[in-house]
Amino acid sequence: MRSLNPAFKLIGLLAVTFLLAARHDPLLSLSAFVISLIAMLVSRVRLKAMLLLFLPVFLAAAGMFFTGYRFAAGNSMPVRAEILHIGSSAVWNGLTLSSRVLAYAGLGLLFALTTDRIELIRSFQKQLHVPAIFAYGLLAAWGIFPHMALEYRRTRAAFRARGIHVFPMSPSLLNPLLVKSVRWSEELAIAMESKGFDGRTTRSEFAPVLVRTSDWVFLAVCCLGLPAAVFFL
Amino acid sequence: MSIRFEQLQFSYFKDGHDVIPGLTAEFHASNITVLTGVSGCGKSTLLYLAAGAYPHNAGILRSGKVTVDGIAPAELLPPERCRLAGMMFQNPELQFCMDTVKNELVFCLENIRTTPSEMEPRLNAALQFCGIAHLKNRTLLSLSGGERQKVMLACLVALQPKWLLLDEPFANIDDRSASEIAEKLGQLHQEKGVGILAVDHRLDNWVNVASTVRIMEKGRLLPETLSPKNLDFHHLEERGIIVPGGSYGVHRCSGIAQNKVLELRGLTLRHGTTQILRGITASFYRGRAYAIVGQSGCGKSSLFGALLGMYRYGGQALLDGKDLKKLRRKELGHIGFVTQNPQDQFVGGTVLEEILSSLHGKAGAAETAEKILKSIHLWRYRELSPYLLSQGQQRKLGVATLMAYDCRVLICDEPTYAQDRNSTLAIMDTLCRQVKDHHAALIFSTHDRQLALDFADEIWELEGGRLHAVTQSGL
Repeated sequence: MRSLNPAFKLIGLLAVTFLLAARHDPLLSLSAFVISLIAMLVSRVRLKAMLLLFLPVFLAAAGMFFTGYRFAAGNSMPVRAEILHIGSSAVWNGLTLSSRVLAYAGLGLLFALTTDRIELIRSFQKQLHVPAIFAYGLLAAWGIFPHMALEYRRTRAAFRARGIHVFPMSPSLLNPLLVKSVRWSEELAIAMESKGFDGRTTRSEFAPVLVRTSDWVFLAVCCLGLPAAVFFL
Repeated sequence: MSIRFEQLQFSYFKDGHDVIPGLTAEFHASNITVLTGVSGCGKSTLLYLAAGAYPHNAGILRSGKVTVDGIAPAELLPPERCRLAGMMFQNPELQFCMDTVKNELVFCLENIRTTPSEMEPRLNAALQFCGIAHLKNRTLLSLSGGERQKVMLACLVALQPKWLLLDEPFANIDDRSASEIAEKLGQLHQEKGVGILAVDHRLDNWVNVASTVRIMEKGRLLPETLSPKNLDFHHLEERGIIVPGGSYGVHRCSGIAQNKVLELRGLTLRHGTTQILRGITASFYRGRAYAIVGQSGCGKSSLFGALLGMYRYGGQALLDGKDLKKLRRKELGHIGFVTQNPQDQFVGGTVLEEILSSLHGKAGAAETAEKILKSIHLWRYRELSPYLLSQGQQRKLGVATLMAYDCRVLICDEPTYAQDRNSTLAIMDTLCRQVKDHHAALIFSTHDRQLALDFADEIWELEGGRLHAVTQSGL
């Protein structure tokens, strides 16, 4: 998965999620989930990172299962003993919902864990013709995120030091953050410009992101093969 | 080969006053010139104009002309402009947009349309020159301030500009990195003939490298050309400039030493896997001033951050015998904080609120606030947001909020950071008054050893995660 062209990978996986959205088949969703797990393992994603990320996903899936199970069509609101028996339609309903959570999380993480963001931006520019100013702006903004977290802690500490109580994420805490991020973006823009970045003129490419046959095959399978298979089988 | 300013008149706002009211000057590429002057004198503005960043990004050029080697930089597109003049900024955290050192250098070279086969050797040579070849594949986030500034220098070396414009390049980095970078700059100038124009309010790091020092005052360039080897200290002091190794000529602020107010017992702190503080034990008494010195990155800000409640720490910090972690919010207000960047401590929407919030609705709060604001000449800005004040005014406001406090301990992280001599004296005077009149204990960190010598009763050095007392003569 790592060697696939990032833009092609994104489009292909998006096509699969649309396909899943249109079908309410737990077997299909579950197999999408299992395939993404296998793909991640084959692409040597660290097992620990995977387990940590999937923990909340499994919780959400379990929650969705019981929601679907308990509130299957035809069930009434007040809890009665007889509705908690295992009815196949209720189980099916629960499975449909929870398998969708798993499938979407699986596909999303498959993309996130096997894609380098710099490569993604380069491929957006090359294959999808996203303007450079937008692509590199995104990268620069990404670099600011760690500052935001630190700045938030700083502001909260400032309030604490004055003996003032504030709720987390309250406007008085976010205001300074907003002011500062505007200032940061200005500074960053000037710094990028002073390194010769323009956004309008053409740039040379150190390692152009290529499209190989395997990328086309992947795209064809995701966008045409899978829908056809699901439709005919 | 020179940078020329002709009849330059520049303002940041349409109806604002001129930051530079008609300046004519020429700087030759054969010199390393350092422009100095008090904060707000227009020296950085001049540099941004030479780099072509202004008026493109901010401000209005009312009249006059800027040329670098005969070319107007503002009329060039960025890829050409950066070959003419490269710029280095004070904040090493906000200069990069890629993830790793190599990618950042590639980004620079792609901008100037270097052919791909040339890139690898060129970026390797630049890294080698700056002595950071080992950092090539590191992420920029994992680098220290000094290392990042070296990466920035490597970017400039790779871009091969004819001029280097430096805006307080040493402001945020440790002394060792600063002297290493200064040495590289000298080498670039001598070997490759790169013209260098730098702006700095401190001259310490330039003494061995620069060939001329010029002083700016209120947007004007003073006619005299100084040689950094034999600076006239008295003359510089008169102009409000901090003199390398020069005394502030003031007496210590010590009041009458009283009871112990803050005690640290085996304080430890780690960021990730790095142990920053390894058991700090110290006692601080009311009515005394303590300076904490040490290299950048030795953990001064982390220590203060821990006391401020930003980081979790091991061990105990006791305020009047009570554990800081168990104190109620009201009692925490007995410690006054001044942060390195004044913007980090603002809590109010307006300048007036900023002062009022320290008074906690005490009787006569409005009158007290008015008195304080008038004394620092900010009363007419009372309805403005504190973020709209100038840097110097923000610092004044930050320190003034402490006057409204009834605090027992004042903890100040580099309170005079990026201030000129006069503001430094004014700030220290305010802090000392708290020590004398309210018998507070003042603990301040500084990288200006002279400031520590002149104002502190005791000097502590933070080194290797431990705090130890230094005798006055030991510095």
